[in-house]
Amino acid sequence: MKNQREECGRPIFNGDLCAQRMTKTMISMSKIVKKFGSQTVLSEVSFEAKQGEIFGLLGRSGAGKTTIINILTNQLKPDGGSHKIGVTSYETGLMLDEDGLYDRLSCLDNLQVFATIYGISDKNSKDALDKVGLGESANKAVSHLSKGMRQRLALARAILHNPKVLFLDEPTSGLDPNTAQGIHQLIQGLQKQGATIFLTTHNMDEAVKLCDHVLLLHKGKIVEQGVPTEICERHDAVKTVPDLEKVFIKMTGEGLS
Amino acid sequence: MRSVQAIFVKQAKDMTKNFAVLSMFVIFPLVAFAMTHFVARGNYDISDTMFTTMMASVFAGMALIQVACSVIAEDREKKSIRFLIIAGVKPLAYLMGIGGVILIASLISSLAFAYIGGFAQDEFIAFMLVMMSGAIASVILGATIGIYAKNRQAASGLSMPFAVVLGFAPLVAQFNERVESFVGFIYTQQINVVVNDFSAGLAQPLTVIWLNIAVLAVLFVIAYVKKGLGG
Ligand SMILES: Nc1ncnc2c1ncn2[C@@H]1O[C@H](COP(=O)(O)OP(=O)(O)OP(=O)(O)O)[C@@H](O)[C@H]1O
Ligand SMILES: [Mg+2]
Repeated sequence: MKNQREECGRPIFNGDLCAQRMTKTMISMSKIVKKFGSQTVLSEVSFEAKQGEIFGLLGRSGAGKTTIINILTNQLKPDGGSHKIGVTSYETGLMLDEDGLYDRLSCLDNLQVFATIYGISDKNSKDALDKVGLGESANKAVSHLSKGMRQRLALARAILHNPKVLFLDEPTSGLDPNTAQGIHQLIQGLQKQGATIFLTTHNMDEAVKLCDHVLLLHKGKIVEQGVPTEICERHDAVKTVPDLEKVFIKMTGEGLS
Repeated sequence: MRSVQAIFVKQAKDMTKNFAVLSMFVIFPLVAFAMTHFVARGNYDISDTMFTTMMASVFAGMALIQVACSVIAEDREKKSIRFLIIAGVKPLAYLMGIGGVILIASLISSLAFAYIGGFAQDEFIAFMLVMMSGAIASVILGATIGIYAKNRQAASGLSMPFAVVLGFAPLVAQFNERVESFVGFIYTQQINVVVNDFSAGLAQPLTVIWLNIAVLAVLFVIAYVKKGLGG
């Protein structure tokens, strides 16, 4: 298990504060049911994500990961159950698989739109671009960006206002390992500043590396959840590195891809 | 207020880079100018203001509906609006920001039409009032279609019949009295009505336009309640 004191990046004497932070529930779902027509996409999904935690939602394509984020961010109404986030929508940041960027505007102009909405200074936009490594492309039109650059810009928009809760839908999918690594560091940095991060991924290694808590979702049902290393131990799936993939196959009878 | 400002600035910047939209605001005054100077002048059968009113009503009807509709349909299709709503932007603020930019651009085009038509003083004020009222009507109609349509392609298909009827009915009415009496209740026709006889006053044409706006506003609210802005 991760050393939470160290993970919080705080001096040791602050360790209690840090531990306290990890016990307050920030995001919760209780018996959420969602149907599209006759297809039940989520059946009785319940979980709690604690403040300051990196919470990972793992599952194959079509498992219902994006649907969960859409429900939590009030873009979709569930057919049953309840959900709650401990902060206002203003204090949440969001990165979805569809980036919604303005193609004809520059990277900086895209962020300025939101900086104005949030009432924060223009400097925040430049800082956010620097953080995702797009500082030099600030004046480039979005239509001229590569896929990975777009993704990083979408991330910059999500963290622009230093949100307390951050939803990231597959933040590293389709990125090269180096860029993905940079995003991992950024996510860990945000956690150190106290943010709660809710992310979805197909990537088991990413989940083990980043997440304090993971939830394995299969066909709209939770099949396992807990601290990655602990659930790997529980399922006797610790190799040299904890093998979440093995747990997944054991629980679902299928591989991830 | 901050939201309106943010959307307004976004839309203004976007429009300067969106050639298809920008050209709508330039082409119609340009055609009016060319036709007035090279065809109407020195031709006793054609009044000096005919091409101005013709192009002005095609602009106010057809072009503005298409512009409003395509802008909103694009923001919906690309899911940009979702991020605005999650950031706390109210739908009305969004529409005011977008509508504000389109109306200011329309104001500039209308000034060009007024100049080409040679309208001065009272005529100028009357012309600008009908043009801008008509522009408001078209923006609301375009927004309604933009909200109702599934995506940009559907939006342009759906707006076409409206745009054609509203843009060209007044044009046909100039040559055909039966059509003229039939289109009397359409807002774009009021531009003709006003310019053809400035002395008749503005009361009736403006009433017709604002009744149009009231009906369109109701349609807009229905579309909005049914479809929402997010998409
Ligand atoms: N608007 C919708 N209408 C109908 N079905 C939908 C809709 N949105 C999602 N679904 C269905 O719900 C299921 C879950 O979709 P969801 O997008 O949540 O999956 P996911 O886990 O995010 O997948 P991926 O990893 O591919 O992004 C899928 O079977 C999908 O077809
Ligand atoms: Mg998804």
